[in-house]
This record gives sequence, structure tokens and C-alpha cells, in this order.
Amino acid sequence: MIFHGEKMKTQSMSRRYLKQSVFFALVRASALMITLALGGIIAYIVFNGYSVIRWDFITKPPTDSMTKGGIMPAIVGTVYLTVGAIFIALPLGIASAVYLTEYARQGRIVRMIKVGVNCLAGVPSVVFGLFGLGFFVIFLKFGSSILAGSLTLGFLILPTIIGASEEALKSVPQTFREASLSLGVSKWQTIYRIVLPNALPGILTGSILGIGRAAGETAPIMFTAAAFFTAKLPSSIFDEVMALPYHIYVLATAGTNIEATRPIQYGTVLVLVAVVLGIDLIAIIIRGYMRRNKRW
Amino acid sequence: MEQEEIIRLNHVNFYYGECRALTDISMRFRKNRVTALIGPSGCGKSTLLRLLNRMNELIDGTKVEGEILFEGRNIYAPDVDPVEIRRKIGMVFQKPNPFPKTIYNNIAYGPRLTGVKVEDMDALVEQSLRQAVLWDEVKDILNKSAMNLSGGQQQRLCIARALAMKPDVLLMDEPTSALDPISTAKIEELIEELKKDYTIIIVTHNMQQAARISDETAFFYLGNLVEYNGTEKIFTNPDVKQTEDYITGRFG
Repeated sequence: MIFHGEKMKTQSMSRRYLKQSVFFALVRASALMITLALGGIIAYIVFNGYSVIRWDFITKPPTDSMTKGGIMPAIVGTVYLTVGAIFIALPLGIASAVYLTEYARQGRIVRMIKVGVNCLAGVPSVVFGLFGLGFFVIFLKFGSSILAGSLTLGFLILPTIIGASEEALKSVPQTFREASLSLGVSKWQTIYRIVLPNALPGILTGSILGIGRAAGETAPIMFTAAAFFTAKLPSSIFDEVMALPYHIYVLATAGTNIEATRPIQYGTVLVLVAVVLGIDLIAIIIRGYMRRNKRW
Repeated sequence: MEQEEIIRLNHVNFYYGECRALTDISMRFRKNRVTALIGPSGCGKSTLLRLLNRMNELIDGTKVEGEILFEGRNIYAPDVDPVEIRRKIGMVFQKPNPFPKTIYNNIAYGPRLTGVKVEDMDALVEQSLRQAVLWDEVKDILNKSAMNLSGGQQQRLCIARALAMKPDVLLMDEPTSALDPISTAKIEELIEELKKDYTIIIVTHNMQQAARISDETAFFYLGNLVEYNGTEKIFTNPDVKQTEDYITGRFG
């Protein structure tokens, strides 16, 4: 009997061990697949695009019906639009999140607002594009411009920023608020001096996601900001600009010679990825700078 | 009454939503005394403490009935700004909660933001830290983060931070429950020292601590004030049987 029991035990142990190995293998395979997919995409872009990347490509405007030359106006346009969108969405998003988490009485109305914000995050970007066309371009008479495009992109990424800011504000320990209030410091000063500085690194982390989205979207800027072709750089926020995602779209679908511009398309994609990473990097550096000494 | 009273409660009820946490509390706190609030968990002693500087109203759905007079003025009157009250009635919390700032800025934070005219901030910081018996340990690291201090040092920093506002009353909510015995002893000595200049009201779970440091002790049970007497009386010959049972460890 004892022998039998021991055998049972080892059997079940080895079966459990087997199950564990299978499970671990599956989890590892999933992680590997994601990494491979990402690596694959980047490798593909680099492989197809690197040949056109030269100094002239990023510093000169396109020539010969966009089959030659560079993409400098599109790089500048995308940077303007993205930075503009951040400057619009960040203050508005942080202010909304401060209201929702710090001031508003938690109840049905706040819940409804939060559901609304989440729904907004799920609205297709082309809808934002049409809204921008109707409201900013036509109704407010901004025309197709950096301003209209930035506003449209800003609204597009607003839900992301609000969500990230809410999470960051909630993660600031309640004891900090209590300590500050118990000293006779007002609520607004407490938020401004204690809560926000400690939430900013988290807010920036969330904003990085928004930055990537704002830089990469085509539909919202198609009707509101992007020019098919313009060699000159914008001189005011009411000028149209070229933009990388729209330029890729144009080259790949509407150019005069799509096959001939293939390498330029990949090169442009490579630059777009680099620009997004570059802006992210700036945000990460600012965050790192703010995080010094901020631990609890 | 041989000593002046500073805070008086008249028939105070307190509710969290529908749930009544304090029932008909009437009591007075005397100036420059240490008063200990004791009782089992959930008896309402911390709630009472947080009523005195209007910290409870940070929680949605709470309600106060009755009067709480601070120097003869009802602090729950509609024209009273809670921010004003909290400048005069400081608080030290259960867990040390310094701000993630330098030691110096932790102390200077309150005076700077509340618009108090401070002619010499360095002197105020030094004075507050000396009062909290922390100066000698931190005088060379004032510009280092307060988060690097030990738990006991952090708690004394929080006391110094409260003292920098020059309050009249210091509320302490189990200030030593998160600390080791040596840090606890230091804080108890400090309380002894501070009562010359401040009125101290302290919530504690530690009966010996209440006996050691307080002049008066109030025993709470299930939201009621059961007995309020001189500390010596409470711990040697309480009037109420329930108090005796709690103090001798028969329940709680």
C-alpha cells in the first residue's frame, strides 16, 4: 500500500510538473511572438527604407512630382501638429482629471462623465477628422491649418490624457493631501504644490501614448491640416502643412508613379517612427528629471 | 476648574452616511494639558480627534450635529473657514507622512503657503526642529530628502512641521503605533516637553502610554464617552466598571 501510495504521489507530481512546463512554454511562446512581430515590422521598415535615408532626404522638399527629393516639409509639419496637439490636450486633460478626481463629488454624474470620456476614446479617428472639418475649419474659419489640425488631434488624444492623469492623481498617497490640509494649506494649494508635482511623471507616461497616436494618425488631419504638396515651410499657425502619415498615404495611393516611390514610402515610414520615438524620448527625459527624489 | 478650557464639545453627534459614529459627546479639553483618548478599535476616538480640525469633512457623506467650541467660537459655524481652524489646530498622523521634499522644505511648506509673515525662515526651521528634538540629527542634511530619514525621525519631522505653524493645539492620532520602542520613548519625552506651550490631544491604543504621558484620559466605547477623568484616577480607581474592565484587559 505504501509503495502504491508513493507511486501515485510521484505520478501526480510529474504530471503537475509537465503541466507547468507546458504552460510556461506557452507563455514564453506568446512573449516571443509579440517580440518577433514587433522586431519583424521594424526590420522590414528599416530594410526597405534605409536606402533612401540621406541628409538630403530629411532636409530637402520633394521634387519631380514627389518621386525624388526629400520629405523635410512633412517632418516639420508632423512635429508642429504633434507638439500643438500636446499643448492643447495636456492642460485641458490635466484640468479635467483634477476636477474629476479632486473636486467633483463622486457619484452618478462623475461616473457618467467618465463613461463619456471612455466612449470618446473609442470613436474612430475619421469622425474626429470630420468634426474638425465642420467645426474648426469651416465654422470657426481656421481653414485647413496647423491650428485646426492640432485642435483636432488634441481632442483625439484628450481621453488618453484624461485617463492617464486620473490614474496618476489617484496614485498620489492620500496621506500627502491630509498632511498638507492639516497644516491649514488650502485645497487648491495642496493640489498645485503637492498632488500635481507628484502626479506629473505618471501623467507624462500616459501622454507618451497620446503622442504616438497624434503623430501617426492620418484621418483627423486629412481634412483639417494636411497639404498634398507644399515646398515652403509654414509661416503661421493658419498655414497648411505636409505631414508624414498623410504623405505616406498620398505616395502609396495617389501618386503619379506609386511603384517608383516605394523606397521613399518606406523611408518616410522609418522617419515617422523615428520622429515619434524622438518626441517620446523627450517626454521620458523630462519624466526622469521630475522623478528624482520623488519616491514614497 | 483650575485651568482654562480651550475646546468644548456640546452634545456632538457624528454620522458617516446613515451610520452614527459618535453619540451625544459633551466634554472639555484644558489648555496646556495632555489628554489621552483611549478605547477599543472603532470606538470613535480617531473620529472625534478629526472632528476637532474639521478633517472628517474630506470624506463625502459625513454629518456633524451639536457644537464644538474652540476658544469660545463654534468651529462648525457657517462663517468659519476650516483652513483657518487647521492653522491653529495642528495634526500628527498615525503613519509618518513627510512630503517628498527636502527636510528644510517640509518645515517651510506650511508657513510659506499660508501667507504667514516669516522674517527669518532659517530661524523658524531651526526652532521647529529643535522643539521636535530633531535638530542635532538633521542640521547637516537639511537639503536632503525627508524620505531618507528613519520612521521615528520622520515622525518627529512631522511634529516639527506642525509646530512651524505655531498652532495652539496639537492633535496626535496614534503617533507612535508605527514606531519602534526607542523612537516611541523619544516622542513621549517630546510630548512631555511640548505641553508647556501647547495643548495636546492624543489618541492611543497603548494603555501604558496613556498612563505615562497624559494628565487626563477619556475612555470611549461604541461611540459613547464612557468616562472622562484625571489619568491617575482612571488607571487606579475608575468610576465606571466598563473602564476598569478595558484597562485591566478584560475586553477590547
